[in-house]
Amino acid sequence: MPKILLVEDNEMNRDMLSRRLQRKGYEVAIAVDGLQGVEMGRSGDYDLILMDMSLPELDGWEATRQLRGVPEAEKIPIIALTAHAMAGDREKALEAGCDDYDTKPIELQRLLSKMEALLTSEA
Amino acid sequence: MTKVRNSVGERSETSNDLGLRQAALLRLSTNIAAAGNEKEICEAVAQGLYDESLGYDFVAVLLVDEATGDRVLTASVGWQEAPPSLRMHPGKGLSELPLLDGELHYTPQVTQASRYLPTRNEGSEVDVPIQINKQLVGVLVVESNRPHAFAPDDLEILRAAANQAGIAIGSARLLSAERQRADEQEALLATLADLSAQLKLSTLLQAVLERAVALLKVSHGELAIYEAPKQELVVVASQKVGKKDTTGVRMKLGEGAMGQVAETREPLLIPNYEEWAGQSPQYTQVEFHAVMVAPLLMGGQLVGAIAVMDKDPNRQFGEDDLRLLNMFGPQAAVAIENARLFTAAQHQRQYFEELVQNSPVAIVTLDVNHDVVSCNPAFQNLYGYSEDEVTGRNLDDLITTEATRQEAVGYTRQALDRDTVKVISQRRRKDGSLVDVEVLGVPVIVDGEKLGLMALYHDITELLEARKEAEAANTAKSQFLANMSHELRTPLNAIIGYSEMLHEEIAETEQGDLADDLQKIRGAGQHLLSLINDILDLSKIEAGKMELLTEDFDVRATIDEVTTTVMPLVEKNSNQLDIRCEDNLGTMHSDPTKVRQMLLNLLSNASKFTDGGTITLEAIRRAGTNSGVDILLFKVSDSGIGMTTEQMKKLFEAFSQAEASTTRRYGGTGLGLAITRHFCRLMGGDVTVESRLGVGSTFTIELPATLESPEVSDTDTGSASN
Repeated sequence: MPKILLVEDNEMNRDMLSRRLQRKGYEVAIAVDGLQGVEMGRSGDYDLILMDMSLPELDGWEATRQLRGVPEAEKIPIIALTAHAMAGDREKALEAGCDDYDTKPIELQRLLSKMEALLTSEA
Repeated sequence: MTKVRNSVGERSETSNDLGLRQAALLRLSTNIAAAGNEKEICEAVAQGLYDESLGYDFVAVLLVDEATGDRVLTASVGWQEAPPSLRMHPGKGLSELPLLDGELHYTPQVTQASRYLPTRNEGSEVDVPIQINKQLVGVLVVESNRPHAFAPDDLEILRAAANQAGIAIGSARLLSAERQRADEQEALLATLADLSAQLKLSTLLQAVLERAVALLKVSHGELAIYEAPKQELVVVASQKVGKKDTTGVRMKLGEGAMGQVAETREPLLIPNYEEWAGQSPQYTQVEFHAVMVAPLLMGGQLVGAIAVMDKDPNRQFGEDDLRLLNMFGPQAAVAIENARLFTAAQHQRQYFEELVQNSPVAIVTLDVNHDVVSCNPAFQNLYGYSEDEVTGRNLDDLITTEATRQEAVGYTRQALDRDTVKVISQRRRKDGSLVDVEVLGVPVIVDGEKLGLMALYHDITELLEARKEAEAANTAKSQFLANMSHELRTPLNAIIGYSEMLHEEIAETEQGDLADDLQKIRGAGQHLLSLINDILDLSKIEAGKMELLTEDFDVRATIDEVTTTVMPLVEKNSNQLDIRCEDNLGTMHSDPTKVRQMLLNLLSNASKFTDGGTITLEAIRRAGTNSGVDILLFKVSDSGIGMTTEQMKKLFEAFSQAEASTTRRYGGTGLGLAITRHFCRLMGGDVTVESRLGVGSTFTIELPATLESPEVSDTDTGSASN
């Protein structure tokens, strides 16, 4: 059972996505802002991180960069999630160290296929 | 004037008498020589011959009036009462005899002569012709109270006297003609001088009239201009015509002497105005008799009339007078025409000057050296320079900055090169401040000669501010739409997401009724989301912020993805989807998200407007005609309701479904096709439609397989027409 870290500040999105992922059989841990995301992620306990980009305290790009500097977490696949994509968001996310990128609103099937792709290649 | 004297026959022929006669003849010659004009010559002849030593009783000189042939009594001395200017008509009197044959006629006994006018009982008479170069101009008449009074000697004396008179009169006439010519010349020269002095028309015409009056030696004169539009003559110059100044008097065509001339365009001579039937009611109480009027013509066109009148009842106008009056005609006509042209030109000039002076746009004219010739008040207001400060100076030195100088000089050259310049730029005021201006430069070419240029400066500060404000407002609008869409989407995502989750859970627990309701909530949420996404797309397109994110992608895979997504919609109306893809579709380098969105849009439209029919998606790759870049064609055909030509016209405009009722029946925003067309054009292609009402429609998207140098990437908005 893959362990997923969901870093998301919006309570409803967090609740919704975590429950849907759990129903699909994932084990989901939650972080509510960038700082907590880095703190939890640096343990290296997760198979994949879903990272919202606009986060309080520490934004998703910075959190990703910090995680990439931690040996335990540097190889964990990270998928960037953002609500309204701005020019160059994707490049910025990939530069920061994300492995893929998806836009909100979440289309579950699309996200799942992206997650599966990364988890499979990891495995 | 009767005198009692010795008659010729009574005198004694003594040597003393002879001396006296010779002395008398000598005096005669001296007096003739001293005489200044014809009349004085004639008087000298008459006086000289009426000498005691000669013993004649009556001496007269008659001159022939060339016009009438009358003999006019010019001088007489002796017993006979002779009224001045007595006229003798041809066919009467002894004195005509020399004029008929050029010979001296001696009538020894006048009572026996058939031609004799019975003024006395008897006597003798000698009539001698007076000739100028063989031309008979008059008669010397000498009478005696006695018959047979003249001896051959007398005849010789009289012949000699007539001869002398002829020579003297000839000289006097020559002199007079010479003087007349000189006077005419002078008057003409003076008139020409007036013309070239460009005096005021009324002054000029008054001068012309005064000269005509002086040259013709008449007492009155009047000059009128013809006003063609009113068909009236108006008096513009007057010389003592009425008791009041007649200047300004108007006459209709045909009214009075001038009006008649204006109508006939022929000169008119009236011997006695008082008896003339054609008098104008405006000219009744007048103090003149003879009147002569001549039309003023210019190139066959009537421009006015000139009249002279004389108060002397004996003055008659003849051919010579008319010739003189006509001499002024062309002068006056030219003067009037010149003045008209001058006034018209001046008026025209003033008109344009007024335009320039009052123009709210700054206007400056330059010579070919780029130096200022003139500028209008608006220019002075705009730049703060007075006209004196700029005149003669290089314009570009005055109103440019370092940054704009080169460019401005270039424009000046361009405008001088007969090219119109229209640019928006910035110029410097006298105080150094800058002003945004629209500059318009045009060459000034007169008669093919390049004189310089005219530059117009329109202060567009307010215009630019208004534009900035408008742009800011538009940006704010776009920003507002973007923000609002985002804000709307967040709760919507929750609605959709939770309803999906519930739907999944309920499906597992097999609570079918609830599942349907949840599906409706989700469907409505999706619809609302797609509306918001479309609005966001359009606002981005309008703001010019819709950017392309290009990458290589497989065309066939994209089509498969789209068909999967659209399948539920196709099946909803019991339609069939027919996919016809050629094998050579290959990859595209373009924005895949937008390609997907467009295909989805066309397919979902086709599904909506077709019931139990077939929807076909055809994809073709073919070689491009011009650029060498391949073209991809995506054709979406349906067997649906179709459209009329009218409907197709507005099809690609925002918020226009073919009919308002369509929206209610089939749903949708009416934005999809507008967005599709914008996207197509952004990506270097286009979308077209063919349709027949009740038969179906075919939409064709045409896109280059490789999109060259696209705008720097922007990811899409997350909009998905799912």
